[in-house]
Formats: sequence, structure tokens, C-alpha cells
Amino acid sequence: MLQIESRTFAKERGLFACVQCGKCTGGCPMAMKTKLNPRMIIYRVLIAGNGFNLEGRDELWDCTTCSTCSSRCPKQVNPMEAIIAMRGAIVEKGKVHPNVKTALESTFRNGNPLKLPRDDRGLWAKDLNLKAYAETPAEYLFYAGCTPSYDPRGQKVARALVQLLQSAGVDFGILGNDENCCASEVRRLGEAGLFEAMVEENTEMFKELNVQKMLTVSPHCFNAFKNDYHTVEPGEKFDAQVQHYTQVLAGLLKEDRLKFNGSFAKKVTYHDPCYLGKHNGIFDEPREVLNHIPGVELIEMDRSREKSLCCEGGGGRMWLEGTNPTTRLAQLRVKEALDTGAEVLATACPFCLLTLDEAVKHLNAEEKIRVLDIAEVAAQAL
Amino acid sequence: MNSANGRHAALVIGAGIAGIQAALDIADAGFKVYLVEKSPSIGGRMSQLDKTFPTLDCSSCILTPKMADVPRNPNIELLTCTQVKNVEGHAGDFHVTLERAPRYVDEKNCTGCGLCTDACPVITTNIFNAGLDTHKAIYRVFPQAVPAAFVIEKKTSPCKVTCPAHIPVQGYVALIAEGKFREAYQRVLDAGVPFVGTLGRVCYHPCEAECKRADWDEAISICALKRFAYDEGALHTLPEPFDPTQGKPAPVHYAERVAVIGAGPAGLTTAYNLTLRGYKVTVFDALPAPGGMLAAGIPEYRLPRNVLDDEINSITALGVELKMNTPIGRDGGPSLEDLQKEYQAVFMAIGAHGSSRLGVPNEDIQGVFQAVPFLRHLNMGHEAKIGKRVAVIGGGNSAIDAARCALRLGSEVQLVYRRSRVEMPAAAWEVASAEEEGVKLTFLSAPVRVIEKDGRVAGIECVRMKLGEPDSSERRRPVPVEGSEYILEVDTVIAAIGQTIESAGLGVETKWDRVIVDPLTLETSVKGVFAGGDAVIGPASVVEAIGAGIQAAESIHRYLRGLDMREGRTKDYPKAKDIEVVPTSPVKRAPRERVQELPAAERVSGFREVELGLTKEQAIAEAQRCLNCAVCSECNQCVTACTRGAIIHDDKPRRVDVDVDAILVATGFDVFDPHRKPELGYGKYPQVITGLEFERLASASGPTAGKIIVNGQQPKKITFIQCVGSRDRTLNLPNCSRVCCMAVAKQAHLAHDRLPGAEITVFYMDVRAFGKGFEEFYDRVRKEGILYRRGNPSEVLRRGDKLIIRAEDTLLGEQIELESDLVVLAAGLTPRADASDLTRILNLQQGADGYFQEAHPKLRTVESNIPGMFLAGCCQGPKDIPDTVAHAKAAASAAMILLRKNSVPEIQVIEPTPEDFGVPEGA
Repeated sequence: MLQIESRTFAKERGLFACVQCGKCTGGCPMAMKTKLNPRMIIYRVLIAGNGFNLEGRDELWDCTTCSTCSSRCPKQVNPMEAIIAMRGAIVEKGKVHPNVKTALESTFRNGNPLKLPRDDRGLWAKDLNLKAYAETPAEYLFYAGCTPSYDPRGQKVARALVQLLQSAGVDFGILGNDENCCASEVRRLGEAGLFEAMVEENTEMFKELNVQKMLTVSPHCFNAFKNDYHTVEPGEKFDAQVQHYTQVLAGLLKEDRLKFNGSFAKKVTYHDPCYLGKHNGIFDEPREVLNHIPGVELIEMDRSREKSLCCEGGGGRMWLEGTNPTTRLAQLRVKEALDTGAEVLATACPFCLLTLDEAVKHLNAEEKIRVLDIAEVAAQAL
Repeated sequence: MNSANGRHAALVIGAGIAGIQAALDIADAGFKVYLVEKSPSIGGRMSQLDKTFPTLDCSSCILTPKMADVPRNPNIELLTCTQVKNVEGHAGDFHVTLERAPRYVDEKNCTGCGLCTDACPVITTNIFNAGLDTHKAIYRVFPQAVPAAFVIEKKTSPCKVTCPAHIPVQGYVALIAEGKFREAYQRVLDAGVPFVGTLGRVCYHPCEAECKRADWDEAISICALKRFAYDEGALHTLPEPFDPTQGKPAPVHYAERVAVIGAGPAGLTTAYNLTLRGYKVTVFDALPAPGGMLAAGIPEYRLPRNVLDDEINSITALGVELKMNTPIGRDGGPSLEDLQKEYQAVFMAIGAHGSSRLGVPNEDIQGVFQAVPFLRHLNMGHEAKIGKRVAVIGGGNSAIDAARCALRLGSEVQLVYRRSRVEMPAAAWEVASAEEEGVKLTFLSAPVRVIEKDGRVAGIECVRMKLGEPDSSERRRPVPVEGSEYILEVDTVIAAIGQTIESAGLGVETKWDRVIVDPLTLETSVKGVFAGGDAVIGPASVVEAIGAGIQAAESIHRYLRGLDMREGRTKDYPKAKDIEVVPTSPVKRAPRERVQELPAAERVSGFREVELGLTKEQAIAEAQRCLNCAVCSECNQCVTACTRGAIIHDDKPRRVDVDVDAILVATGFDVFDPHRKPELGYGKYPQVITGLEFERLASASGPTAGKIIVNGQQPKKITFIQCVGSRDRTLNLPNCSRVCCMAVAKQAHLAHDRLPGAEITVFYMDVRAFGKGFEEFYDRVRKEGILYRRGNPSEVLRRGDKLIIRAEDTLLGEQIELESDLVVLAAGLTPRADASDLTRILNLQQGADGYFQEAHPKLRTVESNIPGMFLAGCCQGPKDIPDTVAHAKAAASAAMILLRKNSVPEIQVIEPTPEDFGVPEGA
């Protein structure tokens, strides 16, 4: 039996405020194709007396943590966090999908969920001669994150961003092999203990290095540093200014420090990553960057900004591919992008980049549309 | 405690159904009521509704008789367009300051005939119809409005505030857009500007730099349109040349005579305006011909002489007397004192006709000219003998004029300027034209000496400059580069490095060489003597001179009539950048119309006009691009149309002070703005509307005359979504709006009634049918076939031309997608956005929900926290109409207790009518 004390659980998480209006489930991108029904789960927890059995609730692993449910709830109930907490109870008992287990173990051992050696983390920047933040002081800590550090596609984004920052004369440094996973996905997979340990470890390192300003490539890392780290008690609070790179670029454009001498003459549509948009309300800066690039014709998909459709890469689902058999959301998303007539589907998140890229291949649409990160688009117009 | 006339009185703030009912009750009890309403009509939200629930009475039909009772009641003084600005005192003795915003239409004289609306060229969003259609800038809020008088919606336009002469640009542009060219020309003249065709050619048009249209594509081509107004309206294609003065001198009303020194744009503008006001004006000028710099300084290829002459002739035809070849205070001419013996006021506008010297060796030898005399010589029709190779020194407009003239005389021209291109004071388009024609520009160079050979110019030695630190003009100061001297081989040098004012001997105080004046009134150190134009501000522009001329005419009139010199005048105009513009409809990108020009090769062979103006089609298209920033364009067509003289364009806000015993607040509510719930697509999809918009669509007096048409089609699938912007903690709107459940039931019924066969779905969380007859009505609506589905829709999407509502049907426990042609959002009620202003003024308290706080939640719901101040209707919390009326009557009753206690002996009793005893009217 995988039972939780549901009355305490519901009280602590304010689930009794729920009026069962269904706004959460109505907008849930996974509810249409899986058994996931955030409203119903809350209802079942509420009526379970004091023992709710999580056994067989596989749909909890379908949640992408896109936050559509929690951002729209009129009673400020947070179904997403409740789901993460229920995952936590399952993880505590060790009854998790082998993929999740592997990702968590790798994060613990290697500082990344990808089962890749710690010593290879800095390889992406080997030939770039970047400042080593630990040795030379710099204005910004460039926090690359796991996917941009290890994944060949992600590395291109990190390198493009380096080019942009250098051309604008931004003073930044990297941590190289000393960089450690931000643990955002660890938290979303429910491994609260590991998350807390990693927050403490990372916070200690950032404090030691006196990090004042940090920029991240991934919205997931950005969100973790900005919104999750300070929730961990006790320990030193991490209070540096954290920005997603699109915010930094938009600022550089406003100050006239970043200039485009070339152009990128293509129709571009922009996919709002959940952790940048819905989680953090950053809708305008990425568009400002795209609109500044000479030649870019920005076309919006119907589902944009607050209504952006999740690519299904969040909430640990990068490692749970295939656990539900139906079409991946990324494929729906690419179809929506194709409908606009755009030649480029731009985004600003390494997970979105990989899932959308794969969807394009799956749909045999490589001839029609390319998936690029905003940093890559911008770097091509330097 | 008593009001000024000894009557006891109450102030009612807000004239919706609550305010109207309270005012009528208090007035019927014999007390005086000041009923104050912010908008131009009483009636409030109830006047916007089609039917009322649950009885389905026509909202207007039951409201209009009450509205009509207000002006008929002798105890009610109605003040529309009015807001409370300050309150002092205490219960039984409040002193209230009100501000009446200008209506621009005289309420008493306006008969409501509507001729003005027909003539008005400007349309704007119809707020009463929830933005679904438009009305003219002069309009009546709705047909049954009380008072029935029209009102003008007037804001500020950046062009008019930026224009140094404050010409109502939007006015003549709107008239051109309507094809009324002669009226457009007349409109500029009526603004006190006699130089329409001239300004339309030579103005530096600072207005265009501030034009809001540039936020979408490009500024309106204002200057070219003004020229068009003159060319088309006054000169060319009309059957006979238009003569605004009809060739007759203006009648003289006053005995005082006015002398104007200087027949330039400032002087002639003053003369024009004072003559039209009935003064006899004489203009003196040292030159042989009138026009000042317009005639002497501006070359003919920019300002053809027939245009200037025509405009000056129109001025003299009014009776302005010109005395040419008559300098004042020098060269043997009369002195200021001489003039003052004959003239009761003097305006000095002598311009800036002197020249700054180069300050280099040999600058007085043969072959060195000063630009101003050179241009004057040429412009006065004399032959100018210059050499083959000309160097013009300077970077201002005179330098460019001199260079382009020299080119036309057949010389090779090199312009030498000590700074770089960006620092050039000359207009960029003039510089571009000069380059196009073949003037060579040398930047960062300054003359060191003129080289002499046989007493004539043989060249000019220059030194290269570099830009150093910014100087007092905020331009970077040029510094010579040592050892970089070089020689330019020329035979003629024209110096154009600055103009000076020849103010010596004028007899008024000057600083440097400029005449010192009061900037608001233009009075000089000598009583009765005024000054303006270049003589005051230094070499500037034609339009600034004209602005000064208008200002001076006003001052001289006030001075001669003994009026206050400063009252109602200001130099503090709103800043163009602070003006926000919301276009009535989405702006379609359209670049400005380009003015045709003579090809460069043809230009340099003579002095033919370079710019050819806009064609009629171009002008109309260009004028139609105007966004009407100020809404009312001040084109004055309503003034012409109104047979009662009821239009007052210069209407000003007025302060009204009243003393009252009690204050009733009945300011109502705002409707939640669903833009704040972006997932529902309001503002993005035209098929998503609010309940209030639905009411206007359903109303027989609405924009579609009661036909429910959206996006040009009758919807077949209609979905209502309840609780939008209420019961919502994410928006900090936790309260239930109370009326929406029944309003939706009523609207669903109306949709069913008007659109037989339509599929109607209502999404609900809970249905609250608590009032009398409500549950029965809810039963009736369901039985009509309207489907209630439980769930709070999460988002509205577009798929093809259909809207898709994504929701969970919580009774099924399934996510669903519902197709819909029309989505109606039951947007909740919210506290007034400006409620906090009133809180501050009246010292009221707002509850956590933002509504005004009652004194006790059960026992004193009409009393506020301040004794003597009462709350009526939705300002205290959401209410339906019966509850609002009951609450208002209770508030009136509470106020009357106070009034009654204060005034035992002297109630003015109104005779009871049969209705007071329960007998229906006509029984």
C-alpha cells in the first residue's frame, strides 16, 4: 500500500479551498490524452477519509508541470504542486519508473541526469577561452545547465549565446566542470531530499564565489534559482539576481549594446516555454529580441503566451518518453507552427528545442520548418 | 448648516438608478438636491441594459420616466459632466467644491436637433454601446439622454500643442479628408493665421515630429496639407479665386490706433488679427516691400512671390495701412515716442536682418558677401554679380538658401561648415535638396582668412576641425586641428554664420541685442509697447513669428480695452509625449503620401518652385490617415451648422460651490475587463464579448437595432461563461458579483428568443437564484432548452474560423471541447477604478473588496463611516436593480432624517399627487 495521510496532506496544501470548478482539468494539456485529471485527484484526496492510496496512480507521472492548472485556478489551489508532492510520496517508497530512478541517480552521482561524466561538463566551451568564474571575477555567472553543456544540440545554443554576449561586450564567466545540476527536474520528480541537498551544495558554492548576477540558458534552471531555492529551509538563502538570457538580451538591445549587422529574413513563430511564460510571466522579452532582428517576420500561433501548449518536456517527462502511447504534445505544437506558414519555430528552452526538433523529424517536416533557439536566430544576424 | 439661500440640501453623487431614485425621494420630501453626474447624461448602467430579470421588463421603458422626472422636479439641480473635487465640514454643514468639465455645448440653447452631428467629420468609439460602434465627436450619449443637449468629446492633440501658433491642425486635416478644401483654408485663417500658403511651404513643421501616427507608420504630412488647403481652397481650381475678405475692409469698432513696426510675418499677423477685431492698424517697415524675411530672406524657389503677394494683399485689403521705406528710431525715421503720440499701442517686430561677421582677415574685400543682404538683393529683384566658384560659410537655413541661390546663378558652390552633418541647424530636407542639386558640403572646416589678390577674393584659407566637448547649445564644440590648414580656391565668399537684431535706437530695454518682454503678454519695458518674433527670441522661424503675432494681438486688445492681461492665458501646454492616443479602429499601415518635386536638373536652371504639392487624391488619402488624437478636431463645422449658436469651443471647466447637509454616494460599479483573463481570448477574437456588449446587441436602440450579429453573422452556437472576474482570487476579486447568474439566464433567454434554433450552453460553477422569482426564472430558461453544463472553462481557442472552448464537464469528469460562434463572458462587477479618489476626498473607507464600507454590515448598510454621508446602490457592493432601488430609498430616508432634524420650520412641501396615495397614473 502506498498510502498518504490525505487529510493532513490536503490541509497543508490548501486543497480544501477547491470548488471543483474544473478550470484546471479543462486546460490541462495531458488530460485529453491520459487519465490525468487534476480536479478529480484533488477530489479523491479530499474524500478519502485520512488515507489516500497512490498505488496504481500512474497518471501522476503524466503531469508536465506546465502550471496551466495552478496559474488559472480561481481559488489559488495549486494542483501541480499537489501532484509533485504525491510523486514525492511515491519516490520515498522507491516505487518509481526505472528511467526516473536512473535520472535521479545520475544527478546525484554526476551532477547531471544524463549519465554523463562530471569532467565532461565544461567541454562545450573548451575552445572558447571563456573566463573561469571561479578564478577571475566577472559581472555575470553564465550558468549553462545540463542540456546545453552535454547535448550536442544544446551546446550550439550555449555557444550562440556566448557569441551574442561577447559582441555586446558583456563581462561573464562560466564554472566549467564545477557547474552542478540546478536540480529543477529532481524537485519535479518528487525527490525532495536530493533537491534540498543539491540546493544547499549549490548555494554554498555561489555564496563562496560571491555570485551577484546570474544568467541561465534554460528557463528550468532560471525558475529553480529564482523561485525554488529560497523555499528550502534551513540554510543560506540564494538571493543573487537571476535572469533568463532572453531578459539579458532584451536589456542589451534596449541599451543599444547589442547590435545586429546581418539579418535573418524568415518567417518565425515563437513557442513560449512553460517555465519562462506561464511560470514566470516572461512573454515580451523573447519577442522583443526576435522583433529586433532585421528580417525576422514574427507570426503568432493561436495558442501563444498564457495559452502556449506545453511541449511535454517538463516535469521529468524528458526521461519518461513512451510511458503514454499517444501522440506527443510537441507534434501537435509543430503542426500548429506549420499552420502559420512559419519557416522557423523559435523557442528559448533546451527541452522545448529537443522535443520540438524530434517532432519535426517524426512528422517528416524538416523541409518545411526548422526549430531554433532564439539565441541561434539572433547569433545568425550578428 | 444652511445653504446659501437658506434651503436645506443634499448632494447626490452619481445619477444611475440609485442616484436618480434617491434624488427624487429627497426632492419629493421638500428638500433641495444637487444631483451630480460625471458623464454627460444621467441613467447609468441601467440605461445600457435591454431587459431586466426575472420579469423581462424593458429596462429603458421603466427607467426613462424616472430620468424625465429629474429635470421636471423643481427641487433638483442637475449637474452633469461634474465631479466632486473637495469636501469640508461635517454632517449638517458640508461645503462641497464641484468641477464642471466643459460640455462645449450650451445646455440651455441646444435643442437637440442633431444638425451638428451631421456636419461633424470625426468619429470616435461609442462607449455607451460598449465600444461596438462609433459616434461623432459631437454627440448625444443615447436618444433618451437627460439633459438632451449634445456634448463634444475633446482632448488634446500633439500637433496643436506643439505648433508655436497653436493652429488647430486636426481641424483643417479633417476638412480636407471630407473634401471641404475651402473650409479647410478658412479654418487656418480663423485661427488668426493669414499666411496659409506661405506656412504650407516654408514651415519647419515641428508638429510632424510629434505626430502620433508615427507610432504606427509615418507622421501625417501636415505641412503639405496646409499648402494644399491654400492651393486648392484659395487659389486654383475653384470657379473664382477665393477671397476670404470679400474684398471689403473690416469694420472699425474702436477709436484707438495701433502701430506695428516691421511688415514681416509677426507684424502682419498682429495687424491682421487686430484689424479683424476692429482696430485701425498702420505697419511701418524700413524695406521697400512688405513681407520682412518672407520677402527678403526666402528664395522664390521655396516661396513663389505670387503666393506671398496674394496673402499680403488679403491683409491689406482688410484695411491695414502699410508705410514702407520708413525705419523707426534710425536713419531719419520717426522715433518710438513720435509713434506713441499718434498710436495708443505699438507692436515691434523688426526681425533679425543684421549679420554676424566672420571675424577673419580680409572679410571686407570685394567678393565677400553676407548672406542676408545677398538674399535680400536677389529677392527684391536685383541682379547679383557673383563669381564662378563660391564658398558659403555656415550650416543654417540661410547658408543653404544662399548656396542654392548661388547655384541657380550658375556658380559652383561649396558649403563649409565647422561641425558635422548632425549638428547642422538647417532642416535636413533642405540640406538633402541642396546636395541633390549639386551643392558640395565640406564638414569640420572653418575659414581662417580670406585670400586677397588685386583687391578681390582669390581663395579662402580653412582649417580642419574636430569635435570636442558639448558647449552651451549642447552641440559638440568644434576645435581646430593644428597644422591642418588648406586653401580653397574660390572667387566669392558668402558668409552665413548668423543673423543679428538691429535693435539699437528702438527705445525699449534689450539684452544682448534682443528686446526684453514678458513671455506671456509680450509687454516690453515701455507701457503700451509690445514686441515679438525674431526681435525677441533671436533668428527663429516663420511659425514662431506668427504665433507671437497672434499673442501680441490678444495682448494689445486686452491692453486697449483695460482687460486683465494674464487671465486664462498660459504657456504650460500638455507635453506631446504625455498624450495617449487610442485609435477608434485598428490602424491599417499606410505610408504618407510623397510630395512631387521638380527634378534636380530642372530646378537649378532658374528659381521655379521646387515642391509641387499634393494632388487632390493624395491630399484626401493623406488627411484620412489622421488618427484624430483630440477626437474633436475644432474644424468648426458644428458652429456653422448650429442655428442656435449653442457651440462653445472655448468652454472652460467651472468651479461650483454648494453647501449641503447630507451627501449620498451612488457612484455604481465598473464592469470587469476580461483582457485580464487572456486565456479567454477577449479582445483577440471578435466573437468573444461581455454580457454588457450582449445587452447592447440585444437592445432595440443598440448598434444593430436588436439583431444579434457578430462578425457579420448570426451565431448558431452560443456559449455563456459565468464567473469571469468574480469569485477569482488570482485577480484579487474574491467576491461573488451576485447579478451574473440571473443576467446570464436572461441573456440566454434573449438569445433563444431572437435566434430560434440556436444551440445555447451555459457553463456554470454554481447557480445562485436567490431572489424573488429568480429560481422560477432559472427553471423557465432551462425548460426553453438552454443547456447548463457544470464546469469553469479553461480557455478559448481558435480552430479555423470556429472558436473552441476547452473545459472539463465536471459532472462527466471529462475534458471537453465545445465549438461556438459566440462566447459571452459574464464579466463581473468591480468597484469603480477611481473609487479611491472619492475615498480620499470624502474620507470614506473601502472594504477589502474595494467597495465603500458601510457603518455596520447588518444594521447600518446605508450609512458610511462618516456621519452625514450615505451609500446607495452598487458602490457599497454588487446589487441587482430591485436591491439597488431599495438600498437607494433607504439611503435617501436616512439622509432625510438628518435634513428633517436640521430644518424643522421651513420645509417646502410639494403637493401630494394621487400616485402618492397609491392611485396609478391616469386612473
